[in-house]
Amino acid sequence: MATVIEGKGGFRAWLNKRMPVDQFVADQLTGYYAPKNFNVWYFFGSLALLVFVMQIVTGIFVTMHFKPGEATAWNSVQVMVREVPYMWLIQPMHAVGASFFFVVVYLHMARAMLYGSYKAPRELLWIIGMLIYLALMAEAFMGYVLPNGNMSYWGAQVIINLFGTIPGIGPDLVEWIRGDYGIGDATLNRFFSLHVIALPFIIALLVMLHLVALRQVGSNNPDGIEIKEKLGKDGLPIDGVPFHPYYTVKDIVGVGLFLTLFAVVVFFAPTFGGLFMEPPNFEPANPVSTPDHIAPVWYFTPYYAILRAVPDQKIGALLMAASVVAFLFLPWLDRAKNKSIRYRGAASKILLGTFFITFVVLMWLGLKPADGIYVLLARIFTTLYFLFFILLPFVSKADGNGPVPDRVTYHAH
Amino acid sequence: MRTSTYGIVALLAFAGTAFAAEGNNAGWERPAENQIANLPSLQRGARNFMAYCSGCHSLKFVRYSRLAEDLKISDELRDQLLVKPGAKFTDYIVSSMPEKDATEWFGKAPPDLSLTARSRSPDWIFNFLTTFYADPASRQTGVNNLQLPGTAMPHVLSSLQGVPRLKAVSHESAAAGADRAGAEPAGESGHSNSPFEPGAQGSLTPEQYDNFVRDTVNFLQYASDPTQLERQSLGVWVVLFLLMFTGIAFLLKKEYWKDVR
Amino acid sequence: MSDHAATDAVPEVDESRRKFLIAATAGTGAVGAILTAVPFVASWNPSESARAAGLPTEVDLSKMEAGQMTTHFWRKKQIYVVKRTPEMLASLAGHDGELKDPESKESDQPDYAKNAQRALNPDVLVLIAVCTHLGCLPKTRFTPNDATVMANWPGGFFCPCHGSKFDLAGRVFEGSPASLNLAVPPYTLEGDKLTIGVDANQKGNA
Repeated sequence: MATVIEGKGGFRAWLNKRMPVDQFVADQLTGYYAPKNFNVWYFFGSLALLVFVMQIVTGIFVTMHFKPGEATAWNSVQVMVREVPYMWLIQPMHAVGASFFFVVVYLHMARAMLYGSYKAPRELLWIIGMLIYLALMAEAFMGYVLPNGNMSYWGAQVIINLFGTIPGIGPDLVEWIRGDYGIGDATLNRFFSLHVIALPFIIALLVMLHLVALRQVGSNNPDGIEIKEKLGKDGLPIDGVPFHPYYTVKDIVGVGLFLTLFAVVVFFAPTFGGLFMEPPNFEPANPVSTPDHIAPVWYFTPYYAILRAVPDQKIGALLMAASVVAFLFLPWLDRAKNKSIRYRGAASKILLGTFFITFVVLMWLGLKPADGIYVLLARIFTTLYFLFFILLPFVSKADGNGPVPDRVTYHAH
Repeated sequence: MRTSTYGIVALLAFAGTAFAAEGNNAGWERPAENQIANLPSLQRGARNFMAYCSGCHSLKFVRYSRLAEDLKISDELRDQLLVKPGAKFTDYIVSSMPEKDATEWFGKAPPDLSLTARSRSPDWIFNFLTTFYADPASRQTGVNNLQLPGTAMPHVLSSLQGVPRLKAVSHESAAAGADRAGAEPAGESGHSNSPFEPGAQGSLTPEQYDNFVRDTVNFLQYASDPTQLERQSLGVWVVLFLLMFTGIAFLLKKEYWKDVR
Repeated sequence: MSDHAATDAVPEVDESRRKFLIAATAGTGAVGAILTAVPFVASWNPSESARAAGLPTEVDLSKMEAGQMTTHFWRKKQIYVVKRTPEMLASLAGHDGELKDPESKESDQPDYAKNAQRALNPDVLVLIAVCTHLGCLPKTRFTPNDATVMANWPGGFFCPCHGSKFDLAGRVFEGSPASLNLAVPPYTLEGDKLTIGVDANQKGNA
């Protein structure tokens, strides 16, 4: 949809001759038509981008005062929040931001699952998104380890030891990752380097690719109908509105709501009851004292619960890996004709609803000690978790083919 | 739009409920009920800390100067009452006990208390300091503790509290921390449903002693997060500003979306 | 009329209301962005650790002999303290014509050091040992008539980096690349106790 920009003088013309600014806006914003029926679930894409930028900015400032290393890391965090002007605000913004990133990303993924946004032609868009999620998990894990609090230390110990379950190379691999026989300077310094340079670059690149792929296929919508198939006389989608100004002004509202919630947590409950910053991390790493109860941060606990549900170490690790990787195959596991959950049968709705509940329950179980009733529950919900991926091909094939409306559902307000 | 909003709210609410902390109150546990905005209480707490705790425990991330500034203690009082002999007013509050001697005397070095209110909790410290009891089985110190059984710390405040004895009935179960079912909420120390009965007397009444500990706990909560009050008062303005911004943005959105039919 | 969702002009579009709301949103957003920048910018100011390390430095002058110089640190800068002899003080006179700023009009010093000796007490010279040219550390050349510095050298300081020359009050000679006299830090003098960093005019608010 190239629009010719003409007849303007002055700086703008000068600039456009050298860099296609107006052209870019015309192609990507005012000329990009998005379905008009987006609901609140569609805020989380732009919000994820916002949190990413916020993490970069706050991260740059935290890095200015952070001293990686066994002897210095924990102290430097305590000193920066107490002694450097306003770091009492900026450092918690970074720590809380990590949790908010996952809140937003999980809701963004749930949206894709609700409305079948991973289905053709958006398989690659979904896969790039999943790669962002994987990179983000690595980024968050390393960021969590860096301050070298006691939970950081033991969490890192547990997670790195997971690689030891890989047959044959496991034990050597663990030593190679750590660069030491335990978590030491070498480990913390390489994690620092990856956390502040390598992974942010990778994530930024993947985000760009994610956006490029999105622009190629266009956004899905709650009805799962391709708006490009209903064009008006002018060749533009009837059910589309220009992204700018309509979705820019709408996303700003989302940003406002998000920042309000974010500020409430940062200013009034930065530890979020020990969920975003855990009490043991207010003690320095202590290799001779394991915290009473080790659990990863909440956004990793669903997978951790699956790991612990299995009495065999190797199978547990394998299932955990499978539980993450399974998402990658969704575009092909879902064999329904229709995309959106709106136009699927009750069985599909129950299946997806159960999966969402299962994910949250596993998240909760991963924070609980692995004893008594919790082990049993973890096994039940691990089974339910995988049952979703196993049943999806059959359920979706059976009840995802009903009639869909001609036009998207939209009621002007 | 509505249903999807409810969907997100329901999902988050479900997650929230799942994560809501469940208390497992051991009967004798009491909330500290300290008030972080109570300046005189913080000042008394600082005094208590310097008099009774700082011989063994450090606050290695807190400077005398910062403390005095935050708690509105004048420079004269700061130098007279807070700063230890030989220390400068900008120094960190460090215990005068060499770590090696401490390890020899107590079996382990007394921990730094800068962040204890965050790594444990104010309630935990309050209960720790109020549940020392005479225990002849403990050869080192002659006392034991309900919150931290087998603690290496002697009852430093015994001159104030005295040394209570555990009631015979609840002795074993409470000490084992299993006194959950049927235990009534504990009142003031020495109250009828407290697990304690008076032992050796101290110079303070049970109420005075609780207040003494409460002030000290309050001070430790301040020390664990010195900017918490400043953060909250700034937070009110930030949230109000963001709400205003969101409101304006919402009007703008409504105005534009009039176009869309 | 096309059948488009949004491209046609809806009759009752209130352009002025739109413009106003855009301005209000953008304005509030800009204010928010500026306010957000404040903590980030402010975080570059010296931390409490830096300020604690930059506290006033005390010097005991009683152990110094006349003509001796000692060096000290204050706010990450080296400070020269010279107990000047009567001969040294005498050497300050007679070369005003060769100086760039003999009366220290342009130079940096507290009021009480804006005099011929550039000192609170003429016997004690306190200087920040940072060459006013490009920040090198000036060397001492106290021996008068040291021809390696210059002819008729009265004694003073010589910067090895670019050859700036200063007399025993830190005043810069013509022909030096430096254009200002060596700076004098704020200090107080109580008997033999010199405190660098506390201004004699505003004692108490260090």
